[in-house]
Amino acid sequence: MFELFSELWSFAFMQRAFVATTVLSASVAPIGAFLVLRRLSLAGEAMAHAITPGVVIGFVVAGLSVTSLLVGGLVAGVVAAALTALLARKTILRSDASLASIYLIALAAGIFILSAAGSAVPLKSFLFGSILGIDDASMMLVGGVATFTLVSFAFLLRPLIISTCDPTFFEAQAKRPWLIEQAFMLLLVLNLLAAFKTLGTLMAVGLMILPATSARYWSSTITGQLGLTFFFALASCWVGLTLSYLFPETPSGPAIVLTAGGFFLISVLLGPLGFGGRWRKPSNQTSRSLAQNSNKERPQ
Amino acid sequence: MSAVLEIRNLALGYSELTLFRGLSMDVERGSTLAILGANGSGKSTFVKMLLGLMAPLSGKLSWPDGPPKEIGYLAQMTEFDRRFPLRVRDLVAMGAWKGFGLAGRLDRETSAKVASAMDAAGVLDIADRSLHTLSGGQLQRALFARVIMQDAPLILLDEPFAAVDQTTEAHLLTLIDRWRDEGRAVVLVVHDLSSVLDHCDNALLLGNGEACHGSVDTILTPERLVAQNYLSKSQASWMFRAAREEAAHV
Repeated sequence: MFELFSELWSFAFMQRAFVATTVLSASVAPIGAFLVLRRLSLAGEAMAHAITPGVVIGFVVAGLSVTSLLVGGLVAGVVAAALTALLARKTILRSDASLASIYLIALAAGIFILSAAGSAVPLKSFLFGSILGIDDASMMLVGGVATFTLVSFAFLLRPLIISTCDPTFFEAQAKRPWLIEQAFMLLLVLNLLAAFKTLGTLMAVGLMILPATSARYWSSTITGQLGLTFFFALASCWVGLTLSYLFPETPSGPAIVLTAGGFFLISVLLGPLGFGGRWRKPSNQTSRSLAQNSNKERPQ
Repeated sequence: MSAVLEIRNLALGYSELTLFRGLSMDVERGSTLAILGANGSGKSTFVKMLLGLMAPLSGKLSWPDGPPKEIGYLAQMTEFDRRFPLRVRDLVAMGAWKGFGLAGRLDRETSAKVASAMDAAGVLDIADRSLHTLSGGQLQRALFARVIMQDAPLILLDEPFAAVDQTTEAHLLTLIDRWRDEGRAVVLVVHDLSSVLDHCDNALLLGNGEACHGSVDTILTPERLVAQNYLSKSQASWMFRAAREEAAHV
């Protein structure tokens, strides 16, 4: 095992891959945790698709650079989030239906532009990422986004907890409650862009959602949820990268997300808030599983 | 008794629908106000307006001592996420979150206040339990402890007894009495005519485009309850006959 890691670490591209995914894990963990807790798991996936046309247009106009990715993706993300909020507030559609409509249009537009651009676009790299070929600029993007995200979370964590757990109470307490939601969506878009280069458009949300849903089966506190989400994300990246190295034909993005899927299955089966809680003999009230308790005691 | 809030000639509603007009009243310190009304009469809208979440159509709200820094608030639990990974003590501490600063931590004094609030609400023994393991009554007690932590001069409770048993209701009513004795103004949205009204000094009855305010005895009469579509004639007749018979029997 030690020899394998020595061999892996001897390659500069693998060193970059491990460093980039480690930093990325720290950045996407809190985003993923709150996507799951705020019941926005599918919205995260939709947003990943919604920013595709911006990224593609950025690529077509200015080539495959970090700047084009960031500018194109940010513009598309902000426009999609603003249109979704506008439709949800001013029309009969709810926010999920609004976002679905926007992202489907955006995805189709992205694929249309991608096809029109022809073979100039490295489609496979675009869809699944290219973690093993990550350059300095991409490393800087991941590092910058991670720093911005973690510093932002130091300030946003408490309002996010309250607005997620008890939105009506938060709305009554905060002067501008919508700011928290918009700030969180901005962080989501930034992290999707940071993850695009490493994991690709199809897999970027996988590293956010699967570690967070896995952690949900183990922890009953928000600190535990955040810590475990980071642990599962990091472990998925390291194991996935190793698998991708051992099986050279395997793209790194799917390898990482499949590993995260493996942790999810283990968590479902063994976690105290998953089936693991049902299999254990209930010794006290606190060990009762969520599923056992939620339906019959849910207040009106 | 001094007023924490003065309301003058208030009209409330939405651009296409006026719920009521011409309401003038004071929300007094050291008193409990019950708000009653049929569905859609404007109870929750009135609470939203008090919280500053929506503006009145016309009229004036004035705070004699300036707008309070904090308004204690217990919302209906329709949007509360009981699956959120939080312990009871964390939920209670939420009541003082504005005092923490953006990135501050809970100091020793605040932790002691949290423990005291949990003790008063009867949830100290379950302080480390996760929210998803609580019964409806336990959760409501924890939310009352959060209101204690808010330490506000005006407290709004939106249907606080909708999902609790009689024992819990009796315990929580002692907290409401305590808040009133401490000189706070308590506003209580009540869905049913119940013994809860024995703990209220004043009532605001909404419905049929009107808002009537006064003492509980003068406002909650059968004639007015029928006129404002809160009860049908037969319901009022049955309910108040039963009350009269019970009084005569005692």
